[in-house]
Amino acid sequence: MPPQQGSARMRQRTVLLVGIAVLLAALVLAVVLASLLTHGRHEVSPQMLKWKDRGTTKNLQEVILGRCYNYITAQHPELGDKDCQKIWESLKDAFIYKNPCNITPEDYQPLMELASHPIPCNKSLFWSKTGDLVHRYTKSNQNFLTLEDTLLGYMADRISWCGDPSAPGINYESCPKRSECESNPGSVFWKMASKMFAEAACGVVQVMLNGSVEAGAFRSSSIFGSIEIFNLDPDKVSKVHIWLMQDIGGPQSESCSGHSIQRLISILEERNFKIICEDNYRPVQLLQCVHNPDHTDCRLCTNSTAIP
Amino acid sequence: MMMSRLFPLLFISVLCMNSFSGVQGRKWKGEGTTQNLESIVIGRCFNYIRIVNPAVGEKNCSQIWEAFKNAFINKDPCNILPKDYELFINLTFHTIPPNKSLFWENNQLLVNSFADRGRRYMSLGDTLFGFIGDFLNWCGQADSPGLDYESCPTTLECENNAVESFWRMASITYAQHSSGVIQVLLNGSAEGGAYPQPGFFADYEIPNLQKGKISQIFIWVVDDLEGPDLDSCGIRSVKTLETRLKTLGYDVTCTDNNKSVMFLLCLDNPDNSKCALASSAPAVQRGPISSDRGGSWNKLMFVSFAGFLFRFALVY
Repeated sequence: MPPQQGSARMRQRTVLLVGIAVLLAALVLAVVLASLLTHGRHEVSPQMLKWKDRGTTKNLQEVILGRCYNYITAQHPELGDKDCQKIWESLKDAFIYKNPCNITPEDYQPLMELASHPIPCNKSLFWSKTGDLVHRYTKSNQNFLTLEDTLLGYMADRISWCGDPSAPGINYESCPKRSECESNPGSVFWKMASKMFAEAACGVVQVMLNGSVEAGAFRSSSIFGSIEIFNLDPDKVSKVHIWLMQDIGGPQSESCSGHSIQRLISILEERNFKIICEDNYRPVQLLQCVHNPDHTDCRLCTNSTAIP
Repeated sequence: MMMSRLFPLLFISVLCMNSFSGVQGRKWKGEGTTQNLESIVIGRCFNYIRIVNPAVGEKNCSQIWEAFKNAFINKDPCNILPKDYELFINLTFHTIPPNKSLFWENNQLLVNSFADRGRRYMSLGDTLFGFIGDFLNWCGQADSPGLDYESCPTTLECENNAVESFWRMASITYAQHSSGVIQVLLNGSAEGGAYPQPGFFADYEIPNLQKGKISQIFIWVVDDLEGPDLDSCGIRSVKTLETRLKTLGYDVTCTDNNKSVMFLLCLDNPDNSKCALASSAPAVQRGPISSDRGGSWNKLMFVSFAGFLFRFALVY
């Protein structure tokens, strides 16, 4: 073969090889870039809506299932026929893949039916602005039940959840606050559960209110003031017993003769309930004294020679 | 012919014996494993790290369940030792805040209330490892990976059972990592003494306290409200305990009927004389204001005021 043709072919081959190499390099670069970008997108999930409140509690399924089984097995064996797996599924279906500002009571209807259970008469204990004290009380004294001591309330207490139309359907980053939209999964849940809790009450019902709050012990905008009192059944509930608790050593903003209490009493009277109001109901005051044993309000009668 | 008639009879009698033994011949005297144990254990683990005490950080709850289960499954249920739970303890371990340890004997429910879910004190039941096991029951069986849901050995039947060894290991760990001021709540009305021996506190906790880490020990002896005052500071079993701890070199203070705890006991029995508060007016005077009386109170006040005015007018 003549030398010029040989070198031309060599050059062609070189160019071809270089061209292929460049193409390959470009391909690899493109793939790397693409994977980096999509990986970044998965981490940030820009498609999910962003809200102002904390997101869904991590490991929600395990927590809910565990609490359900804990409640029916270890604490309330009379509810042994409850199906915790179905209860979890019905909670999930209520909000998963849905816009969290569009939740309706109907979404929660299956859950409410599966998880509700009867409440013994004379045991219902409502509360407003006394969350800490009332639950310490029911933990120490099994005679009363707040909503958070029923299966539904027990499972959902201090937990948050909300969905999103894009995968995976649950938003762990953020959830809407009430101020962003009222029909969010948490608010709708608690409103419905509170309504059912009130409807189920019978006999004497109790309510623990806070007499040390400036804005008044009873507020019409609270869940108690807007939902629970209007869903008590006058045919089932014989009396409403108000426990008006003031902080030990705290401001005595309101007592049973106060304005907001009088308003509450008149609302209840209109619905034909008998009402008793008691300032600083003693058993609960004793619980307050656990944390303030040396306060003058907590001096015991037999206490003259007590060792501190 | 005879044989062919005997066989069905034999077969039926064997069946009957099996079912009979199933009902009557439970292997052990204690309750069987709690139903849904796995879901409860995993659920409690996540509940604790996400809600109850997120300060302990991230834990692998599935691994924790495996470690818990492997401590006792496929083994003779009378041969489970505390060290079988070592991996479980390692995976669930977290520090106990100083001055918050609360030991106890014969008053578990009271301690639960008093500790206030770990906010006031952190009892063993408020740690992750204690929280997981509290009020549950479990055991396995030799040569089978299954849990025994029918019955489990009691400690009287055999000491080295799954639950007993769990609590021994948990108590040892709890004591080893307690520091600062430690509190011990004892029941002065308990038969057998406020400080029981043998007992978890005596045998597994005191021997594992780390002297260098502990500044003070407070012993609180509280009687049941309507219970007998069998034991108190300075006498009987409590004296034994005080002596033992002082000999070990601890700074020990003992108090009878600690006020805070008394108030807690009073919740169930507020009308007991020991629970009368000096500040509260008798119920009749302060009295509930009822809606029935609402109207009549107003009338009464008005009439009294009118009467006063009338008399005033008469006088002048």
